[in-house]
Amino acid sequence: MRDKVLGLTASDQTSLLRLAILGLISVVAIGSRLYSVIRFESIIHEFDPWFNYRTTRYLVDNGFDKFWNWFDETAWYPLGRVVGGTLYPGIMVTSATIYNGLRLLNIPVDIRNVCVFLAPVFSALTAIATYQLGKEVKDATAGLLAAAFIGIAPGYISRSVAGSYDNEGIAIFLLVFTFFLWLRSVRLGSALYGALTAVFYFYMVSAWGGYVFIINLIPLHVFALMAMGRYSNRLYVAYSTFYVLGTLASMQIPFVGFQPTFTSEHMAALGTFGLLQLVAFTHYVRSVASQQHFQLLVRFGLLILFVLGVGALVLLTMRGVIAPWTGRFYSLWDTGYAKIHIPIIASVSEHQPTAWPNFFFDLNLLIWLFPAGIYFSFRELSDNHVFLILYSLFAAYFSGVMVRLILTLTPIVCVMAGIAMANVFETYLDFRREAPAAPEAQDSAAKPALESGDAGNNKGKQRTKAATKAKASQAADTGTSSAPTATAAATTGSMKRYYTYFPKVAVMVNFMYFLFMFQWHCSWITSSAYSSPSVVLASRSPDGSHHIIDDFREAYYWLRKNTEPSAKVLSWWDYGYQLAGMADRTTLVDNNTWNNTHIATVGKIMASDEDTAYELARRHDVDYVLVIFGGMLGYSGDDINKFLWMIRIAQGVYPDDVNEQSFFNGEGQYAIGDDASVAMKNSLMHKLCYYRFGEVMGPKGFDRVRKQRLPSTVELDNFEEAYTTENWMVRIYKVKELDTLGRTHHAVAKLKGPRTAAHIPF
Amino acid sequence: MRLGALLGTLLAFSSACLPSTFARSVTGDRVLVLVPAVEAALHEYSVFLDSLERRGFDVSVRAAANSSVVLHTDGDRLYDHVALLAPAAKRLGAALSVQDFIDFVDTGGNMLVAASAALSDFQRRLAVQFGVEFDKRGTAVIDHSHYLRTKAPSNHTIVAASRLSNIPAVLSPPLLADEHRAIYFEGIAHSYDSQIPLLAPLLTGSRSTYSGSPATAERPSSKSTQEQLSGRSLGLVSVFQSRSNARVVFAGSTALFSDALISAEHSANGPFVTDISQWAFQEKAVLREIAHRHHLASAASSSSSSEQPDHYRVANVISYEIDLSVYHDDKWHPYIADDVQFEATMLDPYLRLTLNHTQSADSDAVATYHGDIKLPDRYGTFTFSVNYKRTGLSSIDVQDTVAIWPLRHDEYPRFLSAAYPYYAGSFVMVAGFLALCAAWLWNTEPAPKSSKPKSS
Repeated sequence: MRDKVLGLTASDQTSLLRLAILGLISVVAIGSRLYSVIRFESIIHEFDPWFNYRTTRYLVDNGFDKFWNWFDETAWYPLGRVVGGTLYPGIMVTSATIYNGLRLLNIPVDIRNVCVFLAPVFSALTAIATYQLGKEVKDATAGLLAAAFIGIAPGYISRSVAGSYDNEGIAIFLLVFTFFLWLRSVRLGSALYGALTAVFYFYMVSAWGGYVFIINLIPLHVFALMAMGRYSNRLYVAYSTFYVLGTLASMQIPFVGFQPTFTSEHMAALGTFGLLQLVAFTHYVRSVASQQHFQLLVRFGLLILFVLGVGALVLLTMRGVIAPWTGRFYSLWDTGYAKIHIPIIASVSEHQPTAWPNFFFDLNLLIWLFPAGIYFSFRELSDNHVFLILYSLFAAYFSGVMVRLILTLTPIVCVMAGIAMANVFETYLDFRREAPAAPEAQDSAAKPALESGDAGNNKGKQRTKAATKAKASQAADTGTSSAPTATAAATTGSMKRYYTYFPKVAVMVNFMYFLFMFQWHCSWITSSAYSSPSVVLASRSPDGSHHIIDDFREAYYWLRKNTEPSAKVLSWWDYGYQLAGMADRTTLVDNNTWNNTHIATVGKIMASDEDTAYELARRHDVDYVLVIFGGMLGYSGDDINKFLWMIRIAQGVYPDDVNEQSFFNGEGQYAIGDDASVAMKNSLMHKLCYYRFGEVMGPKGFDRVRKQRLPSTVELDNFEEAYTTENWMVRIYKVKELDTLGRTHHAVAKLKGPRTAAHIPF
Repeated sequence: MRLGALLGTLLAFSSACLPSTFARSVTGDRVLVLVPAVEAALHEYSVFLDSLERRGFDVSVRAAANSSVVLHTDGDRLYDHVALLAPAAKRLGAALSVQDFIDFVDTGGNMLVAASAALSDFQRRLAVQFGVEFDKRGTAVIDHSHYLRTKAPSNHTIVAASRLSNIPAVLSPPLLADEHRAIYFEGIAHSYDSQIPLLAPLLTGSRSTYSGSPATAERPSSKSTQEQLSGRSLGLVSVFQSRSNARVVFAGSTALFSDALISAEHSANGPFVTDISQWAFQEKAVLREIAHRHHLASAASSSSSSEQPDHYRVANVISYEIDLSVYHDDKWHPYIADDVQFEATMLDPYLRLTLNHTQSADSDAVATYHGDIKLPDRYGTFTFSVNYKRTGLSSIDVQDTVAIWPLRHDEYPRFLSAAYPYYAGSFVMVAGFLALCAAWLWNTEPAPKSSKPKSS
């Protein structure tokens, strides 16, 4: 403040510091997401990312025009999928742009690496956007803290580690940045920022279905402000600009199309837009009409409008012009809804209601700071704070309904925690009145923090800074108190100072400890829970050695190399995207669960007896059937454990043919051994999983997942074992051709006699 | 034996080039005839065997008990056709199993199986695999109304059968047209599985024919009539064509092929045996698809060498063509029919229409079937197929998997008449907006004070 350090004024120093801290936060945000690449390899994770990766490659190879009009005949055989019109192209276009940009600069990169590292890079951008948001609602300190938090919060890392090439990877950045722009446009009443909000909203629409959250939250904010009597021209300018431009832009995405004009999810925004015009008009009328006339006008006007509005909405909904709420939406309000009406949604683990420990697991310290942040927002309650509070409430509710919505909760939790933490810092790091040396100490404390800071740790940066500050002031304090020239008055003063400092130091030490633990927790969670590609598994044997289980890729590679390029592979929908991406074969169903009937048909094939399944499989031109079996390894996410969901989904469409109850045995157990129910034992899934498994596990073998005795005989005639991977995790069967003599395969097998050891390929 | 086969093949090649007076098999000339005893058989079946030789076959007559007889070596067929005339043999050749014969048929070999009242278990088991179940041991086909009157035994087991199924692909027209035909049959009856579409009865019993024990020579008591084969359900000769178009004939009588019955009075055995052996050994009614193609109908008119696209758009008009020829009398002829159908299926059939026969310009041995087809207004992966299966003829199942894509984003109709009011509305809106702006900008109102609060 007084002096220039390195020729910089104090304000320049702070900007430099902020820049440096933000940079370090970005580095840490990227760095902590690279565990999976270091442990395994640069590989695309899980299921959906494989689709995004495949489409990105298509986009890069064939150009945008072909991508836009791409009809993928190898998915959903034989229905096909209009890929260009049923995806959010944001992430593919982003990757392709980066890829082409790098190529333009003569930096040859593999498109796979662009995809793998996209999410970590965008997480750095998210941190910066969060900083801006925090700065917008409070100050730079809160912004930096929020940025540091979001950089490492596991709730966000879970969807943005390297290789997790999913829509959410870029969508969270867009979400935060759109909200930041919105708040700024409301604060400034600027049409420019309103338009920018619309632009980023468009980007968000192109990237993730979660855009619905934005298009409901912003109108809600506007509505709340109007209800609070805080209508202003700034609000009018901001929302009108945003809504009109944003809606028109969002309609350019084929997947969204005309939805903003007729689906219930978008009606709130339209209604708020209309209401805003009315309120604006009322304000105008008030300025020209007399008080008496105005009141009369308002009363009748409101009544008529209300009746008309509700009537129109009801009428349009009843006539089906406005689509009623979709099932996914209902399941947001009633957690039991999906399980009864749409098993396909309920069958996905990330759609389950959140268990309480999850919040602590994913947010740790932040979940405690969150309410404090809300409290501080209530204290100030500007337009911006109203928004934060609304965002907090809704995100908190939704995250309780669905596990994966913790993702949308994380940014606001980080911002709120940043606000709370900044308030703590403000209160307990304020030594100005007591010590004249404090400002100097702050300056000198900041510099070593900047220079010496071991860059390993992002929010450590902020923390180190604060900690050094505290220590420095402490040092200054003890220095003065131990001065030999101290007078009696000074001694009492230092005692007094000691009493005021002590609680502050104690509180800060506490918080430092918590923040340190938070960082520790985040790194640990990231490394242990969120960095597995799930395509490749790792296991640790009792002696501590590391084993890589690569059965999935082994099987997909086998399919790729040993089957006809036109072969159709039937599997449960979970593996559809991976089959298409890694094996490059036609699939019947995949993770884009758009056709429930088709999925139910696959479920029915799996749940039917061998002959029915054979007939259905032939009808669908299936060449190979692939099942995931964990009984050898103890991999619990296998198809037998998912089987009940297949049965439920199949039963929803074919209630006459599939009945869930018949798959439980007499004691009501879900058994697989000799005590299994008849339907279970006859089902194709059971046969494909346990066929010849007994030969490996011995006569008294156990299934290591179910901990049950194996069935003694499993006969399979219509399907032929084609491949089984090293750990028996993936088993591939060929659907036999029709017999040339028109016999059933049972008759053929009977003639050929029992399978002898000579037929075993190994 | 191998040398003989080689010579046979050479002969087949050379004679294929020359115009010959006798029919030849499409699939090959090597015939194995298994008989109980070679010398006796050469005498007994001389007419039949001679006719085979005359038709250009390389006939090897072997005793059934000859243990050097095998059907395959190293997975290659050694014969193209097998005639089993040794019904009583319990073991054939080098301990050939039922599976060996099935493999033989699977790999395209044809068989002619003749049975008799003394049919062995082995051949019963073989027949069952084809859906043919011979009647119990000791039974014979008996007909007290239609029997060979000249030298017949008194128990009427030489039946004069005349009920032929109307399968012109197998039976020649004179035989079918002959009202007074009598096919003499002495042997065992079989039941045919009518559930199997590959199997068809060719010669069945007439109303007075039944299967029973010839010793009693009487109609059995009504108690067992339910199991009794009689009438139309009593099969005498049945034809089977596998999915791989291999052909198998089951005849309940070895005597059918014998010189004695062929030369009997009013006997139609000669032409009948020739017909079924020609059919079984792929000398007639062999249908084949030479080529098929499809392309956009508009592309066809512009250039003759239009390429087959990898996908179409919804509601495209395409033209589909398939070339068929049929083999008989030693030559490929154009196959003329009015029931060749094209089908486009995606789980369910969307289109099924009859293709028109057109004269093929290229060759006089080929008939081209053509259809201009408007594809369904539905995208997805369709299977274009011509699935032509007629009893007796080789089956044709041609399938193409073709994707039908939705329209491109710029292929939709741009200006809809229904939307004109909206176009008009938007232009009126624009004009109105501009007019208002102009009015606002260049308005020179005399009283500027009243308008001031508005503008602020």
